[in-house]
Amino acid sequence: MTMTAASKTVPDPGRGPESKRDSVLTKILVRQETTLILVMLVIGAFAASRSSLFLSPDNVTEIFRSSVIYFVMACGAGLLIIGGGMDFSAGAVFTLGALSTCKLLVEGAAWPLAILAGLAVCCVIGVVNFVVVTYLHVPPIIATLGTFYMLTGIDNLVTGGADILPLPESFQRIGQGNVAGVSNDVLIAIAVGLLFWFLLERTRFGVNVRALGGNRQAAVGNGLRVVRLDVALYVIAAATAALAGIIYSARVGAGQVTAGGTSTTLNAITAVLIGGVSLMGGMGTIQGIAVGAVLLSLIDNALVLTSIPPQYNSIVIGAILVCAVAVDHLRRSRIYRKR
Amino acid sequence: MAPALRLRGVSKYFGSVSALSNVNLDAYAGEVHAIVGDNGAGKSTTIKIIAGIHRPDDGEVLVNGEELAHVNSAATARKHGIAVVYQDLALVECLDIAHNMALGNLPRKFGIVLDRRRMEREAAEVLRDLKVRVGNVRTPVGLLSGGQRQVVAVARAVRTDRPIMLLDEPTAALGVQETAQVGDIIDRLRASGKAVIIVSHDLDFVFSHADRVTVLRLGRTVGTRAVTDTGREQVVGMITGAVPADPTPDHEVAS
Repeated sequence: MTMTAASKTVPDPGRGPESKRDSVLTKILVRQETTLILVMLVIGAFAASRSSLFLSPDNVTEIFRSSVIYFVMACGAGLLIIGGGMDFSAGAVFTLGALSTCKLLVEGAAWPLAILAGLAVCCVIGVVNFVVVTYLHVPPIIATLGTFYMLTGIDNLVTGGADILPLPESFQRIGQGNVAGVSNDVLIAIAVGLLFWFLLERTRFGVNVRALGGNRQAAVGNGLRVVRLDVALYVIAAATAALAGIIYSARVGAGQVTAGGTSTTLNAITAVLIGGVSLMGGMGTIQGIAVGAVLLSLIDNALVLTSIPPQYNSIVIGAILVCAVAVDHLRRSRIYRKR
Repeated sequence: MAPALRLRGVSKYFGSVSALSNVNLDAYAGEVHAIVGDNGAGKSTTIKIIAGIHRPDDGEVLVNGEELAHVNSAATARKHGIAVVYQDLALVECLDIAHNMALGNLPRKFGIVLDRRRMEREAAEVLRDLKVRVGNVRTPVGLLSGGQRQVVAVARAVRTDRPIMLLDEPTAALGVQETAQVGDIIDRLRASGKAVIIVSHDLDFVFSHADRVTVLRLGRTVGTRAVTDTGREQVVGMITGAVPADPTPDHEVAS
């Protein structure tokens, strides 16, 4: 369960003195989403005062659409981080998923088949990450960074650096069409978000993932099948990275070698961490990740519309990231008593 | 009556180091059986063998007279009727009491959905039966004191309702009041007919709650005494080696 549950009152067996410990400050810190939404409102108010375009329906749609890529990747990456892992290969897996799918489309495969194949290829990469981490005992950051470099090379080799074109209309509709005015990619992101929320909050798997990230030894001691959880998490992280890449290629109408890369990896992880997922594992919510992803694209958008030079974008995001992780530490020290 | 748990001539080596040799122990249902010994006496290794983390290199572990074979994880030991409370408690701080108590055995409904209501109800019931108050079952374990955590860890073992309960240093980090609370719980477990095995440094605690005590020294069983037939001095003597070990049964000397 998330920390938020602790502050709710339930008429269950003797309520301990703990409930009184929830000061207002703790409550606010415990819900990183609330803080982030405040940050969004401040940035939004600033942008709206400087640009009349900012609040136009088209622009709001654009903010959500550009957050889709971050969010879909961040769902898998976030689940993995909650489970105590880390995946730096996401940016290259993103490209690999897109390229594999586009290659098959150009060869004439039907789009559902091409997407499944693209996802499958990347799931194999997830398994490779898992094997290197678990059996070669390479720390997750290094293992997946290695995968990132190798895949980046492979992505370039197989395409010779050229974009894969042209993609069939039916496939491009996934990234460009809409249903009742809501873009397809936003709908996909909502579906992915709901699925991950359900997995994390409502299933045994989700609790086990939190237990694994929160205290791996305890997970082992309680008989959880930790190896099985690990492989699932690395595969899921790779699959969401691939799905994001596929959505991106459908949106731009081409399989681009330059689509993913370092910045894509870092944006996904940044969205996860800004969204209140703890790098120490165990804690975090999909809602938080969603807010983190939207905040990233909101900052991007607001700075462009207020014609602040793009260099400031990185400065603002970096500052927010550092604050988010600092708040995470503060939050942990407040909710965890020293024994 | 066959002992609920019997170790017969159990030996364990780590490389060329002999951690246990010829350890014998009989623990009965409805009794509290303490294992005591100095550091390095083999208490931890014994626990790990009972808990299924290590396999003995020699000898047998019998549950109700049946040999416990192919136990290679905590989950299988639990399946065979052994619930373990580790010294480090194996709690997840960021999860609440109810989740921690159900860990490894979370109730489900409709096949995949976590049955949170049942999980919380069961947790509250177990805590009520143990007559302890650790607060709301939705309190994260990270917020609890050492004693409360110990209670949650014991309650988790109780929830699995296994006939054999193994508690590793249940009072190591606790204050006077908390120790008394854990002692009460152990008394109640005995009254409910469980075979309770405690490993402890705390001889006061052992003498006030255990029925029998087995002393280990340098990886061997020195002897087992009924608490009513022995005194602190004798037990301390057995721990330090001042009192010689009991003669071991023949079949185990051979091995």
